[in-house]
Amino acid sequence: MSNSTDIVYLDYAASTPVDPRVIEVMTPLFGVGGDFANPSSGHLAGRRSQQHVARAAEKLAGLLGCSERELVWTSGATESDNLAIAGAARYRADRGRHLVTMPTEHKAVSDVFHALEQQGFEVSWLYPAESGVLDPAELEAAIRPDTQLVSIMHVNNETGVIQDIEALGAVCRARDVLFHVDAAQSVGKLPIDLASLPVDLLSTTAHKVYGPKGIGALYVADRPGCHVEPLIYGGGQQGGRRPGTLAVPLIAAFGAAAGVAMSEMQDNYAHLRALNDRLWQGIRDLDGVVRNGGEDSTFPGILNVSIADVEGESLLLALEPLCVATGSACNSTSSEPSPVLRAIGRSDLLAQSAIRFSFGRPTTAAEVDFAVARYREAVTTLRGIAPGLVA
Amino acid sequence: MTGDPYSAGVRELFAAPGHAGDLEKPDLRVQINDQGVRVALAATIDGDIIGSLRFRAWGCPHLLAAAEAFCRAYEGRPVSALQAFSAADLMQTLAVPREKLGRILVLEDTVRSLGQSVRQSPEPGKDTD
Repeated sequence: MSNSTDIVYLDYAASTPVDPRVIEVMTPLFGVGGDFANPSSGHLAGRRSQQHVARAAEKLAGLLGCSERELVWTSGATESDNLAIAGAARYRADRGRHLVTMPTEHKAVSDVFHALEQQGFEVSWLYPAESGVLDPAELEAAIRPDTQLVSIMHVNNETGVIQDIEALGAVCRARDVLFHVDAAQSVGKLPIDLASLPVDLLSTTAHKVYGPKGIGALYVADRPGCHVEPLIYGGGQQGGRRPGTLAVPLIAAFGAAAGVAMSEMQDNYAHLRALNDRLWQGIRDLDGVVRNGGEDSTFPGILNVSIADVEGESLLLALEPLCVATGSACNSTSSEPSPVLRAIGRSDLLAQSAIRFSFGRPTTAAEVDFAVARYREAVTTLRGIAPGLVA
Repeated sequence: MTGDPYSAGVRELFAAPGHAGDLEKPDLRVQINDQGVRVALAATIDGDIIGSLRFRAWGCPHLLAAAEAFCRAYEGRPVSALQAFSAADLMQTLAVPREKLGRILVLEDTVRSLGQSVRQSPEPGKDTD
């Protein structure tokens, strides 16, 4: 099902529509007669609002396998990443100023590390294997006595590559280093049990899992040495870690989205697997097409492919009305080759031709078939126009 | 602001590149590879008049659209007009963003090269590439 009659949307890794069941929970909380009050207010209306927040926290905590008090509401994954990385680095700066991450991280992570480098922190950037996966031994070798924080995403937003956060987290835990995971692409889609995973900080957002934009959360493990300094000041809400009036309708919506995701995760995963396989089978015989990210180590909601001898920007336009991405949405206006694809060894030209297809609950087999036909036609047309390499 | 990086003109030219491809018997053919793009032009010349034009290009939509726009505009015009071709004018007409200047200048260089080939060609009808 397309969400408009004139487009075929295969960009669910960038954002998802809000589930009708979520809208049903959220909408009554905005207006007169709804529980719109400030949840910090002690009166009856405030307490009613607070109950919505508490229910949402319960649902999100249930999805993540953590305690409600370990959740901090934010405006989205970008803020969660900033709060986790900058907040933890500053909190532990007196113990050491060495940090570890990867160049394949989302800009919401990598740009924070770049900023911290300007503030006197030292950052080690670890490169993955061609599959996109980081070997825990590489992380082990990079950790030093003064290392305080490691940040590695769970599912890569461009390639769908899944990192072994259990093994990577175990390396960090053994060395008393905080481990942050950007899980914007995986929460609600892959099982995550923070009660058993060695993860200290985990970022998530609602709009990747059929909730609204503008609300996210940061998990901060309730364990010694794990704390974040606030990035903003102005009140004591959320234990001072993230002050500001809570956005009750958005939080309630995130909770509802988490509940739906938990109950339907298994079925949705099978649906995404079938769509991913269908698309890849439809284009894999094209000359020069390559899959970015190992077939066995990627989340099926994302299929990232490059193709030789085709210019990426023209390919993207020729694919319309198919809505796909050349990389992360945040990067889609840049003509620079994706650093994620360069890090897994793709040439500039191959990286520049990359197209990310991403699927969602509403995606149909007919839409995937349309994408296959459109991709094949676009590649054939653009190759037909291109001159040879030699004049 | 529509957020659309492509003007209506670029979209139309990109979607219907009627001049993309080859000529069966071109009098001239030139190609320039530069700035990460490739542009080839082929032409038939009838006296001092440009007969048919075809292009091949590897690059962004703005480049492909500009090449198509050039071919549409210059068929039937005097050969001397080639030297006056201006990438800047075409960019303004098609609302091509400034960061694409380098690529559109490759088209300009290719057009100028075509014009020079006409002057240097003693006998139109021979392929000079």
